[in-house]
Amino acid sequence: MNNDLLNILGNSNKDIDNQKLMDYLSGKLSDQEKHEVEMWMVDNDFENEALEGLQQMSGSSNKKLEGYVDQLNKELTHYIKEKKNRREKRRIDTNFWVYVTIAFILIIVVLAYVVITKLQHHQ
Amino acid sequence: MKPDPNSHISDQQLLNSFYSSRDNHWLGILLQRYTLLLLGVCMKYLKNEEEAKDCVQQVFLKAITELHKYKVEYFKSWLYMVAKNHCLMKLRDKQARTPAEIKDEMAITPENDPGLALHLEKDRQLEMMEECLQELNKDQKQCVTLFYLEKRSYNEIADQTGFTLMQVKSYIQNGKRNLKILMDRKLNQS
Repeated sequence: MNNDLLNILGNSNKDIDNQKLMDYLSGKLSDQEKHEVEMWMVDNDFENEALEGLQQMSGSSNKKLEGYVDQLNKELTHYIKEKKNRREKRRIDTNFWVYVTIAFILIIVVLAYVVITKLQHHQ
Repeated sequence: MKPDPNSHISDQQLLNSFYSSRDNHWLGILLQRYTLLLLGVCMKYLKNEEEAKDCVQQVFLKAITELHKYKVEYFKSWLYMVAKNHCLMKLRDKQARTPAEIKDEMAITPENDPGLALHLEKDRQLEMMEECLQELNKDQKQCVTLFYLEKRSYNEIADQTGFTLMQVKSYIQNGKRNLKILMDRKLNQS
């Protein structure tokens, strides 16, 4: 009990995983486990506010929340992939035109060489 | 919830991988760890599920853009600040008021307060804590005692005291804050 009194003003820096949060929301945890999550929430504003918000969501059903999280994560992954593909495509497009320009210049140089050589023969 | 296949990699390692490669793939893995928390925070401020989901997407985009511009040291605190500021901005646009914006200094560094002056002996610290606990108001003292010393959950405390859950949370948080103020005062006097 003595250490508990001293530990009131201590801070818990370790993190709690999302599954534990979901279990807390759905009431699956024992009183002792609930207390552990609540102890950690007192020191962590982010999780504290997040839990308040999640509890307000209609029904707070875990399936619905998991659905939202999955959807948001998929959209984020898709956005990042698309951005990368667009960047790759721009790079390929740029490279393509560089090669076309080089080829065009080479053709002009070769043609010029052929024309000049022919003119010199005629002379 | 689906287990995180990259849970063995810390936030800092993911951030370092991003900074060295500039590949958003690492940010994707990092941000997905906080989707649930972001959804909760956005819901708390916006009070609408669809708006909260849109807000989370906007926070993701904002985070990706900002992380390309500068280095962030404490990712979780920083992300919380970005989300809160974005929600406050949306509320301001809705209500045409200007709520106070969270400043960087308030949110970026994690709390590393040791809690008690280390130079005092443990017995003296205990004595002071007990005195401070007695100085709290009745409701805060009761809730702090049940929560920290008897390790009860919010529900159990609410059932025993008749307070609502919100009251219990508030008494515990305010009680802890007041204990800290009282302890700091006593430490400065000793």
